[in-house]
Amino acid sequence: MSQVLVLPMTNVGALPISTGFGEDAEMIRNRFIEAMDHYWELPVTRRSSSTHNRFYLLLKDWREGRGPTSSVTQLAMHPAYQQIIGMGPDALPFILRELERTPDHWFWALNAITGADPVRVEDRGRLRKMAAAWIRWGKDEGYSW
Amino acid sequence: MVSIAEIERDFPNLRGNEYTVTSPEGTSYNCIAWAAHDVDRWWWPSPFAYWPHHVPQEETVTSFTQAYATQGYSPCKDAGLESGFEKIAIYVNPMGIPTHAARQLPNGKWTSKLGTLEDIEHLATSGLEGPTYGSVGVVLNKPL
Repeated sequence: MSQVLVLPMTNVGALPISTGFGEDAEMIRNRFIEAMDHYWELPVTRRSSSTHNRFYLLLKDWREGRGPTSSVTQLAMHPAYQQIIGMGPDALPFILRELERTPDHWFWALNAITGADPVRVEDRGRLRKMAAAWIRWGKDEGYSW
Repeated sequence: MVSIAEIERDFPNLRGNEYTVTSPEGTSYNCIAWAAHDVDRWWWPSPFAYWPHHVPQEETVTSFTQAYATQGYSPCKDAGLESGFEKIAIYVNPMGIPTHAARQLPNGKWTSKLGTLEDIEHLATSGLEGPTYGSVGVVLNKPL
């Protein structure tokens, strides 16, 4: 007998498995949520101008204020860089776009925001390869910029 | 490109002394790498940069000395030009944290990469001492 599942419109993600959903239904539901998230995500050029402006103002502050330091720690501890980390996932498309344009020290921020580290140990320090690994990661995760 | 005024603001000891900008800006390598003749990597004791295997990832003179030991350098007495040796000066801030490294050239001058900015050639290690990099904490040498 076929059965029609009607998902409640709110709190879908919180449904426990014990409600009668099988694994297949669970998987379909998760894919649906992922697809909707992806569908509704705006490309970077159409996001809220305030997020865009905030990121680029902070980027300018960071590039102008970081001085002649070689220290990865100092680069990441700069107040503007910390504020970019504080923007959370909203900053990711902008960071990835910047990384694609010019390899720079975004790796601390990317790791802090996502918890990921797609860079191979043997590529550490090679900024072009580190950037390429993160850009691949971003595409695999469905980010657009 | 950074201006002369900006360089001399960060390094007031360069004012009135001979120095030359010898490269464009870039993020491919930093001063620590440049001192070790590596122009492909950014060296720093951090998971987000290169640091030699088995050397502790610590911002200490000991860790930096060990990192350069992997390239054949060991501590020496001073920064004077010595025939048959190449020298590296490690700068530290007042808390003893390494900030910069410069390499001596065969003519006795020093070459430095200024973070993500340009490389410069300067007459003496003192040219970069001051508020930005602190002072030279240790000098290393390596037989040529």
